[in-house]
Amino acid sequence: MSAVAAYFQNIKEATASIFEGLSITLSHMIRKPVTIQYPDKTAKPVSEMMPERSRSWLRVEMDTCTACLMCETSCPIDCIKITTEKDSPVGRAMSQFDIDMAKCMYCGLCTEPCPTGAIHFVPEFERAAYSLEEMISRFIPEGNYVVPYKPPKKEKLEETPPASTEAPLQS
Amino acid sequence: MEQFAIYLHENFFYQAPLWMIKAAVQVGFASIVLLLFVSPFAGILSFIERRIAGRMQDRIGPNRVGPQGILQFLADGVKSLLKEDLIPKDADKPLFILAPYLVFLGMFTTFVALPFSSKLIVADLNVGILYIFATSSLTVVGLVMAGWGSGSKWSMLGGMRSAAQVISYEIPAGLAALTVLLLTGSLSMQAIIKAQGAHPWQWFIFDNPFTLISFFILFIALIAEGNRTPFDLPEAESELVSGYNTEYSGMRFVFFFFAEWANLYIIGAIMTTLFLGGWQIPQSLYNASAAVANWFPQVVQLLFFQIKALVLIFIVVQLRWTLPRIRMDQLMSLCWKYLVPIGFFCVMGVAVWMLLFPQGVPWMRTFLTILAGITLVYYFYRVYYQIKASNAEIQLNPFV
Amino acid sequence: MAIQTQEMMLNMGPQHPSTHGVIRFVVKTDGEVMSEAIPDVGYLHRSIEKIGEICDFNGFMPYTDRADYLSAMNANQGYAMVVEKLMKIEVPRRAEYLRIIASEFNRIISHLLAVGALAMDVGAATPFLHALKEREKVNDLMEALCGQRLTYNYVRIGGVSYDMPPGFTEQSLSFLDKFEPIMQEFERLVSDNKIFVERVANVGAISREDAIAYNLVGPNLRASGVDWDLRRDMPYSIYPELDFKVCVGRGEKGTLGDCYDRYIVRIREILESVKILRQCFIQIPEGPTLADMPKSLKPPIGEAYVRTESSRGDIGYYLISDGSTHAFRLRIRTGSFTGMSIIQKISQGMMIADLVALIASLDVVAPEIDR
Repeated sequence: MSAVAAYFQNIKEATASIFEGLSITLSHMIRKPVTIQYPDKTAKPVSEMMPERSRSWLRVEMDTCTACLMCETSCPIDCIKITTEKDSPVGRAMSQFDIDMAKCMYCGLCTEPCPTGAIHFVPEFERAAYSLEEMISRFIPEGNYVVPYKPPKKEKLEETPPASTEAPLQS
Repeated sequence: MEQFAIYLHENFFYQAPLWMIKAAVQVGFASIVLLLFVSPFAGILSFIERRIAGRMQDRIGPNRVGPQGILQFLADGVKSLLKEDLIPKDADKPLFILAPYLVFLGMFTTFVALPFSSKLIVADLNVGILYIFATSSLTVVGLVMAGWGSGSKWSMLGGMRSAAQVISYEIPAGLAALTVLLLTGSLSMQAIIKAQGAHPWQWFIFDNPFTLISFFILFIALIAEGNRTPFDLPEAESELVSGYNTEYSGMRFVFFFFAEWANLYIIGAIMTTLFLGGWQIPQSLYNASAAVANWFPQVVQLLFFQIKALVLIFIVVQLRWTLPRIRMDQLMSLCWKYLVPIGFFCVMGVAVWMLLFPQGVPWMRTFLTILAGITLVYYFYRVYYQIKASNAEIQLNPFV
Repeated sequence: MAIQTQEMMLNMGPQHPSTHGVIRFVVKTDGEVMSEAIPDVGYLHRSIEKIGEICDFNGFMPYTDRADYLSAMNANQGYAMVVEKLMKIEVPRRAEYLRIIASEFNRIISHLLAVGALAMDVGAATPFLHALKEREKVNDLMEALCGQRLTYNYVRIGGVSYDMPPGFTEQSLSFLDKFEPIMQEFERLVSDNKIFVERVANVGAISREDAIAYNLVGPNLRASGVDWDLRRDMPYSIYPELDFKVCVGRGEKGTLGDCYDRYIVRIREILESVKILRQCFIQIPEGPTLADMPKSLKPPIGEAYVRTESSRGDIGYYLISDGSTHAFRLRIRTGSFTGMSIIQKISQGMMIADLVALIASLDVVAPEIDR
């Protein structure tokens, strides 16, 4: 008897649960789709939809970079490469500031110790490239020198920072 | 057509007898028409299925190629044509090459006997339904060949599964169709439709409780024969990678998928013919449309047939995107423990019913129709409840 | 004459749709029925433990994200806790709350993916996408909180990197309000479905004794009827102050410890996490989010071991310090590895389709197995 009851119980359960499942999927038919049609059919560009803290591409404001190398040392995978020269034509200056975005893992550890906030994230992530070479962000054009920014003393904080002194190399 | 045959006979094939050339021309013409008629079905159905699946999963689906993405299937077809046609080293080459065409053939010859309207049918065979079941089981040969010929273990498992599955489910399908054949006394598709009426209570599905059950048996069995979820074990993406078509690429792969979607339509068409009154339209509508033009009733009939078939296709698609896949042993127990005994019971029941009530039971027809109506209303109430319960945002517009 | 039969060797993975990453199984089958499935791990070994000896303590934090990318917050928290234990750093209260909020959100999305993937592996694609839709909403919240959607790197040694952004509490609470009915709908769609129950109930049942002997952890252990949750039994952080229930499998639809139990335990833990989150948002105090830290981290010579309850169970960090800025030895003990080891025993006599359900229900993540 119980076997017969189980037989019909199975049929009943299967029918009822399939009926319920169909009603759920049909109800989803008339719900609003959640798709964001990246990249062209969005209400505003996706980079504007990203939150403020979003970690995407790194940018360095060379105007305020102090060449303290804090970002280079804090990077766990050494994708930041900074070269400073003591006896360049403009004195102590940076001749190279490269970030290899192909290596970067977007952890954000370089942005935290930066004393001036020169290295920071920008809400921009579309940068596919055909070669790894193109993925390297070079913030100092080759052959140029950038004099590090000297943060003003505490009592002079009100003053505006001086403009950058980018001196092209005469050769 | 006849002149073309004579022209061929006189100019090219004067050695062959005229009747043979005539036959060849007719077959060639029919297959071109059939292919042109059927191919868009498969293509557009694939588009419709993807859009429906998209909305069920709260996404959109293909909407970029052509207006609303309706040309997506053409883009996919062209892409597949341009792909490399790969034959694995270990494959059994002749079988590997032949298999997709057999699957294709099995599905497409079925269209010959599908009655789209009272006149629009390629051949009203007197063994119509038998012919359909016979040709559609040709596909299993193709599937087993594909599975074996690929020389891959996953494909072979898929091929074996499909053989076991399709052959098993032929039996409940045949039994369920038998109930209708008992009521009609004919195998011809047109005769089956003519035995029904235009209104729901005149359809075979509501003729008596046994046909109502066999409707569902046939529906399940046809879905299983068409290898669709919840019975898509031969493909079983998460288990067998892709089953029998794992090793196929390019156009051969497309043939399999073409056949799958053509089969989707065949499921709808067979169910419509056997149980839902086929192309039958009310007499008043027939007269009104006949007043417009001589051929116009045929168009209306075709429209009715297609709407019924599309509703069934929608349910098949919806089932696919709702249910999980069942396991091999459960598949067999569903067939042999549930569908086959109940199928036999229905055949016997219909026979007894016909013996007891040779004229049919009008109140039972009315009762079953009302029951179906109540179920439908309850179904839509559940749909309303689901939306209400999860405070969902509504967007009725199917276009984006 | 008897028919000669031969066992077939199937190579399942490393590229297979349902091995959840780069895992390989050597499957011996006779038709549909397997005699054995031998897991072959190591395809995703990335020497994360060795990297822990090369990087400094802060620099290793992003790597813990990668050790278990589906519950990165929990992995972050465990690593931060082991260094804090060694250095005896007091973490600010607000930071502790923020860590728990992040971890519980992470537990929700990790379990959502697990149950969705189980449904997907038994053949239903729609529940998977419904689960992923909710997961995306939490990912948006996490992105607003810490700037990243998957590899968060939110926890710092001594606190967390950011405070909550403005409006985060309101957004989270409104999400949780909408989320609960959707979970109920998910249960109606999946948990009650007859085919789903048939597919997962009575499949891959792990007995209580086996679960303990094979050192299963987390939801897999609890599904086998062992009432053990680190959050309650070895409490850390602020868990003693929170009120929540430990979900234990009861063998509702079949045997105790089958795939259905593992599934339903995860579903219930999601709802428990929702409860924890609501409490956290009420109780969270004001204050700093990062303790005063020395400029370079140099833990004293010694060793420490910390266990936390991650979404995949117990994640343990063992750290030996020689007093320098780098760890002398770091060892990570993860739940997926032990979950993987039991597959060979349980899979005997299963069908191929059951193996897929078993793997999905154990919720193993390839990088966590191999590290």
